[in-house]
Amino acid sequence: MTAVKTGLEVLLIVGGIFLTLLILMHKGKGGGLSDMFGGGVTSNLGGSSIAERNLDRFTVAVAIIWFAAIVGIGLINRFGL
Amino acid sequence: MLTAFTRAFKTPDLRKKLLFTLAILALFRLGSHVPTPGISYTLVQQCQAVAGQTNGVLGLANLFSGGALLQLSIFALGVMPYITASIIVQLLTVVIPKFEELKKEGQAGQTKMTQYTRYLTIGLSLLQSSTLITFARNPSSLFGGSCQTIMPDDSIKVVLIMVLTMTAGSGLIMWMGELITDKGIGNGMSLLIFIAIAARFPESLWAIKDQGWDKFILVIIVGLVIIALVVFVEECTRRVPVQYAKRMVGRRMYGGTSTYIPLKLNMANVIPIIFASSMLALPTLVAQFNRPANGVNTPGWVNWIDTYLARGDHPIYMVIYFVLILFFTFFYVSITFQPTEVADNMKKYGGFIPGIRAGRPTAEYLDYVLTRITVPGAIYLAVISMIPLIAFVLLKADQNFPFGGASVIIIVGVGLQTVKQIESQLQQHHYEGFLR
Repeated sequence: MTAVKTGLEVLLIVGGIFLTLLILMHKGKGGGLSDMFGGGVTSNLGGSSIAERNLDRFTVAVAIIWFAAIVGIGLINRFGL
Repeated sequence: MLTAFTRAFKTPDLRKKLLFTLAILALFRLGSHVPTPGISYTLVQQCQAVAGQTNGVLGLANLFSGGALLQLSIFALGVMPYITASIIVQLLTVVIPKFEELKKEGQAGQTKMTQYTRYLTIGLSLLQSSTLITFARNPSSLFGGSCQTIMPDDSIKVVLIMVLTMTAGSGLIMWMGELITDKGIGNGMSLLIFIAIAARFPESLWAIKDQGWDKFILVIIVGLVIIALVVFVEECTRRVPVQYAKRMVGRRMYGGTSTYIPLKLNMANVIPIIFASSMLALPTLVAQFNRPANGVNTPGWVNWIDTYLARGDHPIYMVIYFVLILFFTFFYVSITFQPTEVADNMKKYGGFIPGIRAGRPTAEYLDYVLTRITVPGAIYLAVISMIPLIAFVLLKADQNFPFGGASVIIIVGVGLQTVKQIESQLQQHHYEGFLR
């Protein structure tokens, strides 16, 4: 079982790094601090480009892998498989 | 009211947005309960059971993470790194000329600043997660003395994996917030804070019930009164009238309209409370690191901080908190609203306040009005933020007392903002909204 755990840990590390990088590649939405606490209604016009949509898909996929690795490690630790 | 809700769900466009938002919020709550690899969930639960009141150092951070912080889950840091990064970037616009230029550029500059904020968020999450895990290796500082360990294995490899996981987690939260802003309804970041705070409500209220039903009912009634008051004050604005001169450009007529500059009574919102509590947490943090090992006498100043600044029920703490909030309200309002800039813009587009000359007199007038408005605004903010401290003394409630302080202002502010946005979307489809 240690082999599986090591594999999951590697997946977790790689997934975490990729996830962070992919998220940083997105174009930031929303503006600033006063916007955050009821500063006013912001309009969000304009859809996302094809590139952005593909990036979304990649990010979701990596996030799912990352999350699965966390849950897997948690299960192994909890039940000592 | 209810029919408006059903109508919102009957509009396909809006239904999609609402469901998307709810799904993301559900994911956020789910992630808040998944323990980080390396943390033993069973041991954390045991420690939380014996832990008494929440630590003053972590008070606000734990509030914003919805209790995920003390569970050391993958979303333990919550939106805190993003908030900190936004505050830093906002303050830097005053200090660094390059940022000021970006701010003046408008939309393009704002996008660039958001990008800087995002990089800074990741950097700060690295820092904050390392700090949190340092605490977690010696959990008695988080949960009190009886908690020995929550990490079965604290080798350097496990620690590095945990730091990485928590950093990626807070990055993911940032992206989820942006997704809500983009494809859902309302402002994503504030909705995430809203959910984190609201998730603690039932628990904190139920804790009050243990002291008797009469107190419970009293707290509910007082809470409703406070919420009504906060809604009232949040909607308070002074409308400074502005008249625009008519002008001809080609064959078309522009201007000639009269509008107003809305000056909110509480323009700074909860930000002064965040500033003040983080400032007050600093001495406690310093004292924590300067406490010598057992057997050695603690220095006098550490003892002084422990008696006066570590806990919210001491009068000296309350007075300092009050004064700090008053100060930060004026400080923050002066940063966000610059009368000279507004006056210059008005002059450029041919606008003026009736009875006041354009240019410098207008700026002086705006400054005068703003200062006058901010005085009651600051006092209101300070009084509201005192409520949890007073409840702490009277009811022995914990720091997450539901009705008061930052939580109630955020709940009301975000709630109003989101409902207004749904309202405006409904009106695009010619339906009646929530607010009449």
